[in-house]
Amino acid sequence: MAKVKVASVWLEGCSGCHMSFLDIDAAIIDLANAVEFTRTPITDIKEFPEVDVGIVEGSVGNTEEEEVLKDLRAHCKILMAWGDCACFGGVCAMRSTLDKEDCLKRAYIESESTVDGKIPHPPGVPALLDKVLPVNNIVKVDCYVPGCPPEASAILYGLKELLAGKIPVLPPDMMRFD
Amino acid sequence: MKEITLTIDGKQVKGKEGDTVLQVCEANNIYVPTLCHMKGLTDVAACRMCIVEVERERRPVPACTYPARDGLAIQTHNEKLEKYRRLVLELMFTERNHLCAQCVASGDCELQKMGYKYQMDSTRYPYAWPTLPVDSQHEYLVIDHNRCILCGRCIRTCDEIVGVHTLDFGYRGWKDVVVADLNQPLGKSTCISCGACFQACPTGAIFSKKSAYKGRRPESQEITTVCPICGIGCAIKAFVKNNMLVRIDSPDPSQHDGLLCYMGRFGPLAQEHPRVKTPMMENARGKLEPCSLTEAVDMVAKKLAQVKAHNGGDGIAGVASGQVSSQALKAFKDLITGTLGSKFLDTLDGDEYRAVIKGASASQNKMNPKAKTPLEDIFNADCIVLVGADPFKTHPVAGSYIVRAVRRNKAALIVVDSTQNAFPGYAAMWLKPKKDKEASVLNNLTKSLKGSPIKDAATTGVSQKELRQAAEALGKSKHPVIIYGEAVLRQHNAGLITSLHNLATVSTGGGQPNIIALKSRGNSRSAWDMGLASSSESVINSLAKNGVKALYLLLGDDYVEANQLPWLPKGIDFLVVQSSYLSSLAQKADVVIPSPTWIEVSGDYSTLDGTPMSVSRITKPLDGLRADWEVINDIAKRFK
Repeated sequence: MAKVKVASVWLEGCSGCHMSFLDIDAAIIDLANAVEFTRTPITDIKEFPEVDVGIVEGSVGNTEEEEVLKDLRAHCKILMAWGDCACFGGVCAMRSTLDKEDCLKRAYIESESTVDGKIPHPPGVPALLDKVLPVNNIVKVDCYVPGCPPEASAILYGLKELLAGKIPVLPPDMMRFD
Repeated sequence: MKEITLTIDGKQVKGKEGDTVLQVCEANNIYVPTLCHMKGLTDVAACRMCIVEVERERRPVPACTYPARDGLAIQTHNEKLEKYRRLVLELMFTERNHLCAQCVASGDCELQKMGYKYQMDSTRYPYAWPTLPVDSQHEYLVIDHNRCILCGRCIRTCDEIVGVHTLDFGYRGWKDVVVADLNQPLGKSTCISCGACFQACPTGAIFSKKSAYKGRRPESQEITTVCPICGIGCAIKAFVKNNMLVRIDSPDPSQHDGLLCYMGRFGPLAQEHPRVKTPMMENARGKLEPCSLTEAVDMVAKKLAQVKAHNGGDGIAGVASGQVSSQALKAFKDLITGTLGSKFLDTLDGDEYRAVIKGASASQNKMNPKAKTPLEDIFNADCIVLVGADPFKTHPVAGSYIVRAVRRNKAALIVVDSTQNAFPGYAAMWLKPKKDKEASVLNNLTKSLKGSPIKDAATTGVSQKELRQAAEALGKSKHPVIIYGEAVLRQHNAGLITSLHNLATVSTGGGQPNIIALKSRGNSRSAWDMGLASSSESVINSLAKNGVKALYLLLGDDYVEANQLPWLPKGIDFLVVQSSYLSSLAQKADVVIPSPTWIEVSGDYSTLDGTPMSVSRITKPLDGLRADWEVINDIAKRFK
C-alpha cells in the first residue's frame, strides 16, 4: 500500500504541537511505515507536493501565514488543525482584543528598553493582520485536535483515525483547551 | 404536595406539582446539562444548555423554568438537542474571550468542562473580540467581563443568598455586563467582600487575587471544617495543595447558613501581618533575638519561678485573648491559677464580660446571660433592634441575615446608634441617641412599649414620636430579636446591658428574650464560660495596684497592637507574649512564643451562643511551631 503523504506547517504558535507530536515516542516507527512526511518544520522542505493530509499548527496573524495556509489547503485533501491556536486562536489571539497599531507602538516605540524607536516597514516582512484568527476563519478545515498543546495521545489518535479512513473527533476525555 | 407522573426519556418518573422539569430530572438522577442553574437560586433560563423536548411543544424549552405537569412526555437527550447545545456553547465561546490558555480558571471551569463534554473542537462563528474592562480595584476580587457568559449566578447569589444585591446587569445586548451598584468599581461599591459571587462564577469572570494561580480545586485536597473567627461558626471547605491553602469555599452556598465573609473566605489567604516564625528572647542589648523553643520555655519558667518566689503567685498575671482555642484557654488557666497560683487571670475583653454579667443579672427577670439565642433567630425575625453594631464589618454573615429578614420577612429594622446607621436603605428607623444616652433611649423604648409615660425624651435625642413608632413596630412583632455589638460592649456599661435585656424581655411579653451579643472575639464565649475572665475587676487595668511583676499574654492569632493596651508596660519586669504575629505589642515582650494560626492546628471553639465546634487543621504549621496548649503545658511541667 502506498504511504499516506503528509505535510505540516507551523504558523503563529510556539511549535509546542509539533513537540507534542514527537512525544508519541516509539509509535513514530509504526507511523513512519504508513506515512511519508513531506514538507514539515522538521524536514525543512520548502515546497508543498500534493499530499493526502495537511496539518496546521498555529493561528493566522500575518500575511505570510495566510498565504502558507492557503497554499497548504490547495495542496491537501484533508486539513487537520493541531492545537488551540489553530482551532480557536489560542494564546496568540491575545492580540485580537487590542488595536494592531497600539501593539506595534507598544513593542517598537514605548517598550522600556527602547530609545527613539520606529515601527519597521521593510519590504519582505509580512504585515500583521488586524486580528489573529483561527485557521477555519481563512480556509475550510476538516478536523481538529485542540489542546495547548494537545496530548501526544490525542495527536496520535487523530492520525490513526485518518489512517483508518475516518474523520477524527476527539472523545471528551482527550479534549483539552489548555 | 400532589404527586405527578411524567415520562422522561421513555421512563416513567414521579415528581411534585410545582416542580420544574429540571427539578424532576434531578430528583430522578436524570442528567441535564446546566450552566446558569445553581442550587438555591431562582432559575432564569439564561444559558439554554438545559433545553429539552416536550411533546406538543413546537420547540425545545429550558428544563429549569418549564413547569412539570402530570402526563408530560419529555426527551432530555437526542441528536437535535445535542446539536443545539453545542451551538449554544459555540456562541458562548465566540461572544467573549474564552480562550482557556489565557484564563486563570482553566482546569476549574464549568464552561470548559461543557466544551469538553460536547467535543467542541472548533467554533463555526467569527469571534466578537470584545474589549470589555477588567475591574481589579477590589481588595480580593477581580471581575473580568471578557470571561463572563452572563449566566447571572453571581447576581442572583448576591441578591438572593447574601441579600445585599450589589451586583446586577448593566447595559443591554452586546454591551450587557455585570455591574456593581450604579456601575461603580466593585471595591468602591456596597460590596461586603463575602466572595459568594466568586464561588458562584462558573468561569474565570470573577476570580480571587488571593487564590489565582495557587492551584485548582480538582487537584487539591478538600478539608471541610468550621471557621472560628467571629463565633458564628460557618462551615468552610478549604482546598489545599502541597500544604498551601488554595482557596476557601462554602460547602453548600445554596443554604442561608452556607454564607461566608471576607474574614473566613479570604482572611487565612491574605496574611496581612508579619508572622512570628521562631521563639524570640530579649538579648543583653534589649533586642529580640531568635532562640530555640526549649530556651524560650526555660526562660519563661525561670523568670516566672523567680517572681513567684519573690512576690508569690499573685506577682504574676495572665491575660488571654478570646480568639484562641479552648484547649489553649484551659492550659492557660491551669498554668496561671493552678501551677503558678495566681488569682490574676483575665481575658482581653474581661471588662465586656463583667458588664454583660452584671447588666444581665440586674435586669427585670435576672436573665441568664448564658442563655442561648441561636443566630438563626435573626433569619426568622419580624422585628430587629440593632444597637451599636456594624455587623457587615464585625460579623458579616449576621449582617446578611438581618438584610434577608428585612427583605424576606418584611422585618422592621430599628437601628439604635449614636454615630452610624449600619443599614441605610434597610433600616425602617434610625434612633440616634445623644452621646451616652443609649441606655435612656432603650429604657424609654421599653416604657413606650409598656405604655408608661416618658419624661426625658427631649434630652436623649430621640423624640416621643420616634419612640412611639418604634414601640408600635416592636409591639406588633411576634418574633423580635435584639442585637448589640462592639459599640455597646466596648463601653463596659452594665446599665446599658440591663436596658437591653429589659427591652428584650418586654418585647417578647415576658417570654424567652431573644438577645444576641456580637462579641469581638470568636471564642470569647468559651473563655467566659470556662471562667477565664476575672469576675471581680480588670486584671490589666490594675497591674500596678496589685503589684504584678510578670505578665503572660496569650494572644494566639489575635492581632493586637501595643496601643490597644495603653497600660503596657508599667511596672512589669517580665512580659511574655504568645502570638502568631509580630505586632508592636509582641515586639515589647521579653520572650515571644510563636503561635500557629487557627488553620494550622486543630482545636475546639464555641459559637457566640456557646455551641461547641471542632475546628480541624487545614495546613501544617510553619516549621517547628507547636500548638499553644502544648507550649503552655511544657512551661507548667517545668514547675513539677
